[in-house]
Amino acid sequence: MRSLAGAVAIAAFVGGFAIAGWVIDLDRKVTARFEGRQFSVPSRVFSAPSILYPGLDVELVDLRGTLERLGYRQAGSTRKLPAGQYVWRPDRIRIHLRAFEHPSRPEPSRDVVLRLDRGAVDEIRLLPSGRELGAVLLEPEQLGAYYGRDHEQRELVEVDGVPRHLLDAVFAVEDQRFETHPGIDIKRIGGAMWANLRAGSIRQGGSTLTQQLAKNFFLTPERTLRRKAQEAVMALLIELRYEKPEILQAYLNEIYLGQRGSTAIHGVGEAAHLYFGKRGHDLTVAESALLAAIIQSPNGISPYREPERATRRRNLVLHLMHEQDRIDERTLREAVAEPLRLAAVTPDPGDARYFLELLRRQLPEAYDKDVLVSQGLRIYSTLDRRAQRIAATALRNGLAELERNFPALQRDDPLHALQGCLVALRPQTGELLALVGGRDYGVSQFDRCTQARRPTGSVFKPFVYIAALEPSGSGPAITLASFLDDSPLEIQTPSGPWTPENYDHKFHDSVPVREAIERSMNVATARLAWEIGIRRVIGVARRLGITSPLPPVPSLALGTAEISPLEVARAYATIASGGVRPVVQTIEDLVDAEGRTLERRRLRFERVLDVGTAYLVTSLLEGVADRGTARGVRRNGLRGPVAAKTGTTDAERDLWFVGYTPELVAVVWIGFDEPASIGVPSSVGALPIWRRFVQDLTGGEIRGAFLRPPVVQEVEIDPTSGALALAGCPERRREFFLPGTLPDVVCPGGGPVEPDGDPSNGTQQEFFDWVRRNL
Amino acid sequence: MARGPGALLALALLLPALGLGCASVFGTGPVRVSELTDDGDAPRRASMRLVERGLAADAAFQPSFALSRYERAIQVDPTNPFAYLALARHSLDGGEPERALEYLDQAEMFLQSQGQDSPRVEPHLDGLRGSALLAAGRSTEGVPLLDRARRAAPSVWGDGYLSADELR
Repeated sequence: MRSLAGAVAIAAFVGGFAIAGWVIDLDRKVTARFEGRQFSVPSRVFSAPSILYPGLDVELVDLRGTLERLGYRQAGSTRKLPAGQYVWRPDRIRIHLRAFEHPSRPEPSRDVVLRLDRGAVDEIRLLPSGRELGAVLLEPEQLGAYYGRDHEQRELVEVDGVPRHLLDAVFAVEDQRFETHPGIDIKRIGGAMWANLRAGSIRQGGSTLTQQLAKNFFLTPERTLRRKAQEAVMALLIELRYEKPEILQAYLNEIYLGQRGSTAIHGVGEAAHLYFGKRGHDLTVAESALLAAIIQSPNGISPYREPERATRRRNLVLHLMHEQDRIDERTLREAVAEPLRLAAVTPDPGDARYFLELLRRQLPEAYDKDVLVSQGLRIYSTLDRRAQRIAATALRNGLAELERNFPALQRDDPLHALQGCLVALRPQTGELLALVGGRDYGVSQFDRCTQARRPTGSVFKPFVYIAALEPSGSGPAITLASFLDDSPLEIQTPSGPWTPENYDHKFHDSVPVREAIERSMNVATARLAWEIGIRRVIGVARRLGITSPLPPVPSLALGTAEISPLEVARAYATIASGGVRPVVQTIEDLVDAEGRTLERRRLRFERVLDVGTAYLVTSLLEGVADRGTARGVRRNGLRGPVAAKTGTTDAERDLWFVGYTPELVAVVWIGFDEPASIGVPSSVGALPIWRRFVQDLTGGEIRGAFLRPPVVQEVEIDPTSGALALAGCPERRREFFLPGTLPDVVCPGGGPVEPDGDPSNGTQQEFFDWVRRNL
Repeated sequence: MARGPGALLALALLLPALGLGCASVFGTGPVRVSELTDDGDAPRRASMRLVERGLAADAAFQPSFALSRYERAIQVDPTNPFAYLALARHSLDGGEPERALEYLDQAEMFLQSQGQDSPRVEPHLDGLRGSALLAAGRSTEGVPLLDRARRAAPSVWGDGYLSADELR
């Protein structure tokens, strides 16, 4: 007997010891989670904000689509319009803009009305004062986030920052005695057991919020006794160690509340965004009740898929709140009567994934992958959401069309399909506006705009002309009135003689500079580069921002060096911006989870080319777009200033098209990842994609003009000889010259220019120009 | 030949009218952004309003907000010279003379190519460039420019400084 008692005592001691160890182990887990970083919050990336101003075409900029993607909801009445809603009428749009929270550039919530005139904003007025506004900003759109392996998204809330009715709704339906129980609710467990016994199956759970939190934080979803026991003990430990508000806050941020595409939505903050397009603190009673209602089964009672079921359960929650004296009769009636109004579901746009990857690579090393997936940074980028969408569509449709028209280009394996990329910059600032690095990021993550280096073909030629046109010690090698030699050329190289040919396999003897570039003549350009020196051409390319290796060989002039499309874009941006090289910018600023700005970009400029030479080359490339190999840009009626250059490499393996307007430079590249002949020139393959992109972005009317800087003189010349055209010269056209480079012979006669014969007439001409422009 | 009182009266009326006319066309004193908010096409007007807002923020000692407004002005109209001019002033205020010089180059390029490099803008270009050069330790280049700005626009540049309100 005594030995039995001893055995029991020993067993009890050992058992107790084991249980104590188990509890200590659970306690260690609880404290580790609560004391450390509770949640991994993926960092989000946002686009540049949209700016609304008088004169803006609301259809062209897809204002309605932008509002929907931002989670704004259309309202029927304009009387009282809550933030985050808009009313769209044919003659006016009223938008109650949400506040934009940012440490250094916050925007207040503002109720504004946009009066329209023929589809364009006529004026913007602030309500209710009626004060006229020059411009208003919409919040930046989310482009994506850096998710961890669990692919969860959440926006953390503080328990003091959510409305009381949200807490009441959660208590009412999930745990009405949360504020008083010690972690487990015996009464609730009893009630659930009784209900389950009567039903003959598990119909009701008895878990408190603390138990649910313990389960989500530490345990698997399996329904076993052991797991339930662990859950209960952990709930008790949590309640012993932490205050109720702390536990509730953890619960509100952890709870699973649905899906946005493949992303799991956790926490009420993120759910408020998903379902209502608003912050947690702005939820109405009915919206809070809906969130509480779907906790039980976020996908089964999804307001999007099962709106009636979701509404019924929302109303049940509202009635529970009323029964438990959490809301009064009137609030109940109003909330039940509120229709289910949901924000449009806007999954992260897949078309920006190449950009997100580039941005990640460009961030300082301190922001590594672990930081990005966990620390909830907000990265405000330069990407123009609309330009990006249009670029992705233009590239996708352009490649598909090419394959339809030339079936030999089709491949069965998407990994080996015809590829392409499109990158667009704002030349004055270097801000990256759009980047599509390939056909489908899901199939291939290789970014052909930034990671691929391919021969550029004739896209390289403008660098040769810059080297020849810009002033050097003995003056420029050529002017726009010069003629180039396009006769057969043979250059001896270490690997044997090099004999370039033109695309049409013909030679043209002497050709004007403009014609040589407009028709993209190889021989004339190669000879020019050889005469001025390949190293001088390389020097120009380097100054413009080309960093890829540039072998000093004669064929470099025709684009044999392998360069990335982004480098090409930057180099052309330098020409477009008048010779000022921009730094390519992808981020505006970076804000941490606590709202502190950690990084802030500043615009940087460096003049690397004189403004006059930049203008001369732009003028040449305008000719390419108007009359030359790029004249197809005008096919669909695109109006306004365009400068462009085509590029097709040997055997048509790479098709390039670079074009710029006064405010945009865009590069399109097309080819196979493993180089193979495409069989069509750039004007057929790449140009239409560029044209579609710019046409859709601008509505067919390009703003601005390539303005001639005062340093460039405009005079009339005889196009057949390049001589200054005086009275009596039978043919004439206007041409541009740098100071001191006017032709030294005149037409008619071919004699030398008289000392006073400068027809630009110096200061007087400039004065009249100034008066003409200003008056 | 003596002139009658009618001719004198006409002259007396005509001269001020001419003066007013010239003033309305050419303006008086160094240029202010607020005078130009109705000029140009829609993006330029919106951009100028954003510059104006930025200058107001700078005047209210909200430099970060001002900076974002100037950047938005460039987003709407990347060739607006006054956005770069305001950025140059802002950078100089923030103790970044080298950056101010970069912005001034941009402003000057766009002013010239757009034919807006009028005598009313020149004091600002001279004054800002002179101040920036001075702040960058290049006084031999900076002082003459600053002096020229002082002479051309003593009411603004007399103290050798362009406040946000004076440009606004």
